[in-house]
Amino acid sequence: MEVEVKELTKHFPVYERGVILRRRIGDVHAVDQVSFQIRRNETLGLVGESGSGKTTIAKCMLYLEPPSSGNVFFEGKNITEIFKKAKRTQVLAARRQMQYIFQNPYASLDPRMTVADIIMEPFEVHHHIPRDQWLNRMYELLKMVGLEDYHAERYPHEFSGGQRQRICIARALAVDPKFIAADEPVASLDVSVRAQILNLLQELQQKLGITYLYISHDLSTVRHICHRVAVMYLGKIVEIAETDELFDNPLHPYTVALMSAIPVPDPKQKRHRIILPGEVPSPINPPSGCRFHPRCPRRIDICSKEEPPLIEVRPGHWLACYNPWPPKHVFA
Amino acid sequence: MTTTLSRKKSESSRGVSQWALAWRRLKKNKVAIAGLGVVGLFALFAAFDGWPFVLTRNDHGLFAIYPPECIPPACAGGSLSTNAPPSLSHPFGTDSYGYDVYSEIVYGTRAAFVIGLGATGFALAIAVSIGLAAGYFGGWLDNLLMRLTEVFLVIPFFLLLLVFLQIIIKFSPSATGGLWLVVFIIGAFSWPGAARIIRGEVLRVREFEYIAASRQIGASANRILFRHLFPNVLHIIIVLATLQIAASVLTEAAVSFLGFGAPNSYTWGQLMNIAASYINQAWWAITFPAIFLTLFVMGFNLLGNGLRDALDPRLRE
Amino acid sequence: MYTDPILRVEGLRTHFYTFAGVVKAVDGVGLYLNSGETLGLVGESGSGKTVTAQSIMRIVPTPGKIVEGTIEFKGKDLLGLTEAEMRRIRGKEIAYVPQDPTTTLDPVYTVGDQLTEVIMKHQHVSKRYALNKATELLRSVEIADPQIRINQYPHELSGGTKQRIAIARALSCEPSLILADEPTTALDVTIQAQILDLLKALKEKFNIAMVLITHDMGIVADTCDRVTVFYAGQVCETGTAEQVFEKPKHPYTEALLSSVPSLALRKQKLSVIPGNVPNLIQPPSGCRFHPRCSYAKQVCVDKDPELESIEDGRSVHCHRWKELELKSAVAS
Repeated sequence: MEVEVKELTKHFPVYERGVILRRRIGDVHAVDQVSFQIRRNETLGLVGESGSGKTTIAKCMLYLEPPSSGNVFFEGKNITEIFKKAKRTQVLAARRQMQYIFQNPYASLDPRMTVADIIMEPFEVHHHIPRDQWLNRMYELLKMVGLEDYHAERYPHEFSGGQRQRICIARALAVDPKFIAADEPVASLDVSVRAQILNLLQELQQKLGITYLYISHDLSTVRHICHRVAVMYLGKIVEIAETDELFDNPLHPYTVALMSAIPVPDPKQKRHRIILPGEVPSPINPPSGCRFHPRCPRRIDICSKEEPPLIEVRPGHWLACYNPWPPKHVFA
Repeated sequence: MTTTLSRKKSESSRGVSQWALAWRRLKKNKVAIAGLGVVGLFALFAAFDGWPFVLTRNDHGLFAIYPPECIPPACAGGSLSTNAPPSLSHPFGTDSYGYDVYSEIVYGTRAAFVIGLGATGFALAIAVSIGLAAGYFGGWLDNLLMRLTEVFLVIPFFLLLLVFLQIIIKFSPSATGGLWLVVFIIGAFSWPGAARIIRGEVLRVREFEYIAASRQIGASANRILFRHLFPNVLHIIIVLATLQIAASVLTEAAVSFLGFGAPNSYTWGQLMNIAASYINQAWWAITFPAIFLTLFVMGFNLLGNGLRDALDPRLRE
Repeated sequence: MYTDPILRVEGLRTHFYTFAGVVKAVDGVGLYLNSGETLGLVGESGSGKTVTAQSIMRIVPTPGKIVEGTIEFKGKDLLGLTEAEMRRIRGKEIAYVPQDPTTTLDPVYTVGDQLTEVIMKHQHVSKRYALNKATELLRSVEIADPQIRINQYPHELSGGTKQRIAIARALSCEPSLILADEPTTALDVTIQAQILDLLKALKEKFNIAMVLITHDMGIVADTCDRVTVFYAGQVCETGTAEQVFEKPKHPYTEALLSSVPSLALRKQKLSVIPGNVPNLIQPPSGCRFHPRCSYAKQVCVDKDPELESIEDGRSVHCHRWKELELKSAVAS
């Protein structure tokens, strides 16, 4: 599934409460003119901290939130338009192509439904396989994610976090999607369980040919599972490159700071860390020019005046910065 | 080749639902079980003519029930005795009209259930619809429904109840008609509080990811409302129902005691109203209805509180 | 007045009496800490590290109870003290920095109120003196414009700032020991780096002993002098950070280190620890890790191993530690 996102923008209005009516006093600029592509069977990582807009992008792509402007294309078809027009048959067909895996497995499953009902709900909504096949397919899906038949009659609260996430994955696969947006799928899980889920996702990609958008703030898991990575800051993409290229040659000061901030499980490598001053600014009033300039150690004059465009500075490596770090600058 | 599999249910595979867990928690709460016991006893009492003290209409032994139109001993032959103290033939005595207080209390129990269930059913039907719609859809619908709710909350319910009753009863003096009127009016004014609470719970449940997950699968609003939201707010509705039953009965008792109730209806409040002026001569005529009323309301309240603890989602894991 | 170690725990058993059964959350834990040292407690959820910290401060929530053990702080046995005596120690000698900065501050009181409350309670000083002290504290945790912040409410502040205030509150009575329970888990990565740096600096400046609870091996390697690895309510091994990371002696430590993706290492195959964290009501017989251990033998199923001391400060809880040559993921 080839995915293209063109100039996606999402602003959330901020209101002030009056007696009866309310007044709009500003906008949260969650995502601003973001464009990127994902190739077929590829996993694109979307990395950033809170306020970067990565979750919002995924939600807009799947139209869980309507974007303020911009379009999303699946295999060349304009999905955003289809959702906007809201014709039930077309919308359903579109929903079958893509799925979303949520971050919190403890809240993504209806506590009053059995696992079987949860996984079969997509069948009830789409009717894309005949009814007498439902049970068969449901047991198949359970097996595909590494669960057993007898788990089908249990309730979500009887499972661990890792198992719940598997159930969510099974539910996502029930419609045979070609694109899955996974929003921090392992962040709430125990460290030893994360590997299981990550391996499962990779396996499914190879077996079924799925394109992933993998959202995370954890660069280590991103490095493990993604082919390409996009780094976001305050609603904009600041750098995109193939994974190895990005980790070998991070150029944007924010990317470099992000990588150096992550503690490494090796007591000998007490390397020099770049500590960013201050906090992530509020997306209601993003800084002028380059949004990162107030905290940037490499800031120059033009950074506060004009926003840097995203340009290809090395093959396959796109960057939005006027004064990046030189390549091979950083630590392994 | 297609095969139809039956759901593989075996002992080891059957899961423990949230309701089962809640029932386990409820069983441990002695006070709540006491409440449940009281409610159960009252139900049996009303259904079987005061079971376990069951006797037929014509048997004038201990705890006999007399039909409402028959002033004993006019049916049974013998002399009328008003304000008679408790005795073998009248275990709770008689009131100033000569009616057997015990029989009147049994009828009162039935009336209490009619009022409780009727008013609550009516009120919750409205409250659930409004609460679900306002909570789930938000926006202008929420605004509109909540303003409507506030209008009803602001109106002095009790006074209106009294006025309405008097006016309308003038036009339909029959006993059952009057009672249903009371049910209707109590229901019509009790829904706002419940609606707001239900809406609050819907707002909370709506934020869970499983609702968004269903939406992104392609589920319609109907499916989400009835398959996901409603079952997950049901626990609040159950608690509200038990507490509302108690409240409705108490309201009706107050109204009747003040003399504004539907005449010729055998509610406990009515009995107390009639017996109030004779409290010095016949304390039993007002005391026993009061005791039953208290126990009834307490039973439901205790049960309701226990249910609230048992069903509280925060205690789940 | 006392000799090191400042904190010594031996044979600690804390059990929770729930309606489902007795959860043996901490079952035979021993550790020690010297003044000025940072001890890391590492383990996954359910491993007992948080309950151990709660036991030390004697704030174990019902239905939990400390069943057995000794907890010696500065030579005094904490378990023998009355509640009133314990209250004089809590906040003053032993301070606690909890995990979630958003819920640890009372939303209806200003920052100043909350800090002065602690100061005035333990040191019996006037409000004005306490306010001055509080402002100084905010400055020492690197909060800009402390005089303004001190009158603000928690909801007006960011997560990083709130956590700094929680640290300031912990420092307010000059404790000798700080228990920090996953202090950076809820924070963004770049903010996490700031907070960890801050903790290191404060530790040096005030020579405070710190127990740092975390599940992140990177944080352990970066900030801790010594490490204790927890699994299912028991200690697996203890040692200095270098020892544990470079020459792990317990199979769980080895598995944990190699199942965590990390930036330090080239993309390696993530090994998976099969199975799930055990049920603590009915833990596995013998060694609790044996169902998931690739080196398990019959003795592991039959007998629970002893915590054996290998050398000074280094101990391991395994039958086979002498024979096993465990690999370290970070060996250079």
